[in-house]
Amino acid sequence: MNRWAFWLRRLVAGAVALVALSLLIFGATELLPGDAVSAVAGPTATEEERAAVRERLGLDRDAATRYLEWAGGALRGDLGTGYLGARPVTEVVGARLPHSLLLAALALAVTVPVAVVAGLAAGMRAGGPVDHAVSAGTLLVAGLPEFVLATLLLWALAAGPGLLPQVSMVPLGGSPLDAPEILVLPVATLAVSGIAVATRLIRARTADIAATPYIEAARLRGVTGPRLALRHVLPNALGPAVQALGMVTGALVGGAVVVETVFGYPGIGRELQEAVAYRDVPLVQGIALVLCAIALAVLLLTDLLARALDPRSGGAR
Amino acid sequence: MSPAARGARVRARAPARRITRARVCAAICLLVVGIALLGPLLAWASPTEQVGAPFEGPGAGLPLGTDFLGRDLAARVLHGGRLVLGVAAGATVLATALGLVGGVLLGLMSERAAEPVMRAVDLLAVFPSLLLLLLFATGAPGSDLAVLLAVGLACAPFSIRVIRTVTRQTAAGGYVRTARARGDSAWALARYDIWPNIAGTVLADAGLRFVAAVHLAATAGFLGLGRGAPAAHWGRMIRENLPGAALNPLPVLLPAALLTAFAVAVNLLADHAAARRAGPAGPSGAPHA
Amino acid sequence: MDPIGRRTLLRTGLLAVAGAMAGPALLTACGTGGEPAARPQQDGRRGGTLRAAFTGAGAAETLNHFTGGTAMDMVRARALHATLGDIDPTAPDGVRYGVLDTIEIATDLSAYTLRLRPKLTFSDGSPLTAADVLWSLMSPADNPASLPVYKNPAANFDFSGARIEDDRTLVLPTLTPIADGRLLLCQGNYLVVKEGSDFSPGTPTSGPFTLQEFEPGVGSLLTRNDAFSLPDADDAPYLDGLELRSIADSDARAAALTGGQIDFAHDLAPVTAQTLRGDDRFTVSSTEAPYVSGLFFRMNLAHEPFRDDRVRTAFKLAADRQAMVDSVFFGDAVVGNDLMSPGFPDYAPEIEQRPFDPDRARRLLREAGADGMSIALTTGPETPGMVEVATLYVENLKEIGVDATLDELPAGQLFADYPAYARLPLAASFSVPTPALPLYQMSYGGQNPSALGWDRPDVDALVAEARGSSGAESAEAGLAAQQVLWEEGNTIAPVFKPFTTAAVPGVSGVADDLFGQFPGFSRTSLS
Repeated sequence: MNRWAFWLRRLVAGAVALVALSLLIFGATELLPGDAVSAVAGPTATEEERAAVRERLGLDRDAATRYLEWAGGALRGDLGTGYLGARPVTEVVGARLPHSLLLAALALAVTVPVAVVAGLAAGMRAGGPVDHAVSAGTLLVAGLPEFVLATLLLWALAAGPGLLPQVSMVPLGGSPLDAPEILVLPVATLAVSGIAVATRLIRARTADIAATPYIEAARLRGVTGPRLALRHVLPNALGPAVQALGMVTGALVGGAVVVETVFGYPGIGRELQEAVAYRDVPLVQGIALVLCAIALAVLLLTDLLARALDPRSGGAR
Repeated sequence: MSPAARGARVRARAPARRITRARVCAAICLLVVGIALLGPLLAWASPTEQVGAPFEGPGAGLPLGTDFLGRDLAARVLHGGRLVLGVAAGATVLATALGLVGGVLLGLMSERAAEPVMRAVDLLAVFPSLLLLLLFATGAPGSDLAVLLAVGLACAPFSIRVIRTVTRQTAAGGYVRTARARGDSAWALARYDIWPNIAGTVLADAGLRFVAAVHLAATAGFLGLGRGAPAAHWGRMIRENLPGAALNPLPVLLPAALLTAFAVAVNLLADHAAARRAGPAGPSGAPHA
Repeated sequence: MDPIGRRTLLRTGLLAVAGAMAGPALLTACGTGGEPAARPQQDGRRGGTLRAAFTGAGAAETLNHFTGGTAMDMVRARALHATLGDIDPTAPDGVRYGVLDTIEIATDLSAYTLRLRPKLTFSDGSPLTAADVLWSLMSPADNPASLPVYKNPAANFDFSGARIEDDRTLVLPTLTPIADGRLLLCQGNYLVVKEGSDFSPGTPTSGPFTLQEFEPGVGSLLTRNDAFSLPDADDAPYLDGLELRSIADSDARAAALTGGQIDFAHDLAPVTAQTLRGDDRFTVSSTEAPYVSGLFFRMNLAHEPFRDDRVRTAFKLAADRQAMVDSVFFGDAVVGNDLMSPGFPDYAPEIEQRPFDPDRARRLLREAGADGMSIALTTGPETPGMVEVATLYVENLKEIGVDATLDELPAGQLFADYPAYARLPLAASFSVPTPALPLYQMSYGGQNPSALGWDRPDVDALVAEARGSSGAESAEAGLAAQQVLWEEGNTIAPVFKPFTTAAVPGVSGVADDLFGQFPGFSRTSLS
């Protein structure tokens, strides 16, 4: 297949998916009983005041019109204005998203090397002692819901011994990197659960490849140990591994909700949770749309990367 | 050495240990499910009545102490699983039903026709499940049904993928091609030729979805989505009792332990089953949503 | 508001503060007492930056305190803007004035004359005048999004007839004669903002501190306003800086305090406070009446059984108030007497305390033919303790033979759909500290929808009479009104809870600010 056609098809599919997801986002939040007027107008507003607010927010028009306006605005980079703080949604996203991306990037930076090494080590000798240890460990961690893991880490490292701050307070006017200690627990939580998932995926793929005749042949030629893993198995496992890590990245964006809530880290996930709690519909819609776009972009990127790294597809072209 | 042969060797090394482990896992699963389902019948005390001071330690009449409102923790724990596992079970049924319909249809379609749909399914799988949960909770606050729907929809793409794969493998078999050539209807094909061959995988997949669904349902409780007080809910208990964990850690630890033990046991069982089916490669990685 | 301009401003703010922040932010792991930033010593009390944490609302936080309902918004506003006055039972007028010298009341109670202290200025040096005071009291009434308390002045004073006699003198005619206008205007909520203020970060302010930086959902940084002065404390404010942090969770606020990340944690949940009380590295203090918040349940008179006095009385007798105080608040709360605003001068303390009498409640219920009636109590986690108290109350109701269930809505949902709220048969609510009689007029009398069917023109008239007279006459009418409310009202107010805060021992003078629930830190010092 032509490289450009491949790109184009993936992009079109992504765009179609984004439109579908935007409909889902808009539709789900439309179900809200009552309407947002009470949140804005306050509990004691009279019926006339409520009507005025309804008109000002454009809620008196039908859902299709409002969706088109919202989606059109989103295309122009305008996601509307939050009901309660009256801040532009893009401004909120612009302030919070970098914090979450930093968490995800750091978590990924820890996850990738650990998962690749552990996955390779376990998969190369499926059924061996390393495999048993790795599989048991990842199984245990994969069984821990993220919020339980976060709570346990909080206890073990912060609340009891006081080694780390319990609340991830970003210095006012600074970036989280100005106080690196606040990042340790959120990143650790995301990384540990990410490692568990990614290692299992990579191990499975490695075990498949390690059992192929090609690798058997290399073994018979006397190539063993790390050299076999790095030179012969890894290149073949890389494509699927990248895809697996792409999925983990997508999960990181969503998993940040729990971690940011537990540690009070001012990221997009906590903002989303607060927006949900306060029924700030434009904020919920805007943040959800941005998160979806990111997850899709990550998928697209990893797809392309996996294709570029896959020795088979490389050879075909 | 062929993979099958190596697998046989590995299995032969410690079959007894593996089987024992599988039995222990099954026992743990049954125990947790039993507590969740039968707990409300076993509980001797009301889960909502105040019987002591908040966060009392275990003592006479209160085997596990009290929670943040001075309610009997044992009764809370016994009552708290039904909602989590119930919502998760409903969501699993939904996900598996969607997976069956979607997976079998897509599996029987031509590759060319199914490909774009599969892309869409892959994209849905990327949609962060918690996001779905929060969105539905915004639309229908305090509703367990919304949680159930969100969890079910979040799990469905994974089921579709797995079931499509096995359907295709089955459909490639000779007798299905014969049946097609005979002109059997798609329904008959699915019912008599495909289903018997994929039923095992579908059930195993449903088990894995169930674990993911329990995780999500518990997380929903932890985040305060779904039904509110005074209903006991393992996920929610962890959140609401956290402030007093220094006084009595049991209200946090017990629900966490139950949720974790259940998930680990199911994962181990799934691994065991997959290892028996597929040899050493193990399951080809069903990620947790 | 221009978002771009505001963002630029925030960013320039960032650069200015970045240097100062590096110090305390570096290592919090070992700090136990919380080492505040450098504090140059001028005298014993001056200096230091206090780091304090409050409940916020993420992106919904706003500099406009007329609409921002969170503790964070209110505390920030109290630090940024000067108050008209605060309630002070020890002062001659019952209030301690802020920007005002006096409030004179016309003998026929038809007008109030507010006189400003001389030479008051905003942070940019511009004079603070009577026009600013008038605008601060009047403008919220036009905005439907304003909090009810800010619409209240317009319900009492005739702003269209207001006269600015000179820069320092404002005359406010009353709509109907009221005698408690001083109490009303100087209850601590009313702050002076510059006329026409858009509440953007650069707006000149009049309070003890000025805004350096504002990040909604994260916090704000304030520095001492040298142009600010208090009549009775020359060198106040003592603090050089104030770092207000937004931490949503009570437990997390306490954790930040114990971890040395902050010096002062506001509004702690009862359990959190109880845990901190055992730790001698911190001082825990609770506000006292009148600065207590009422948790109450209202019976909807549209719901048939509640039309019977006996049923309402039974529901009041069923509440085990002491058990709620003990087990939800670890004893740190006040038993309520089904009346609002204990501790305010217009509260009627002479009415006997309602006992806990489940036997009589059961009897009354049976007499009314209502035993076995089913009822759902709707509540939500709007303020700490609200769900807990409701949970216990439902158990109390079951005790007297009511088939009661609890319906807890998610946070933010209880009052979100107000018409739906007004239809609930039995609904939880809470009050912020407000004098009893104005509170009655604001949220209960005159067929207010939040009163769930209470419609008693005779009581409304008694309250108006009490507010429209003074001395014994006023007290008598007030007592009569509250007596009726106690006997026939549809409100069960079992508990009034304090605002509990914790601080490192060096923090003092927070309570001297008087408005206990939302301290402005104008008289706080660090040592």
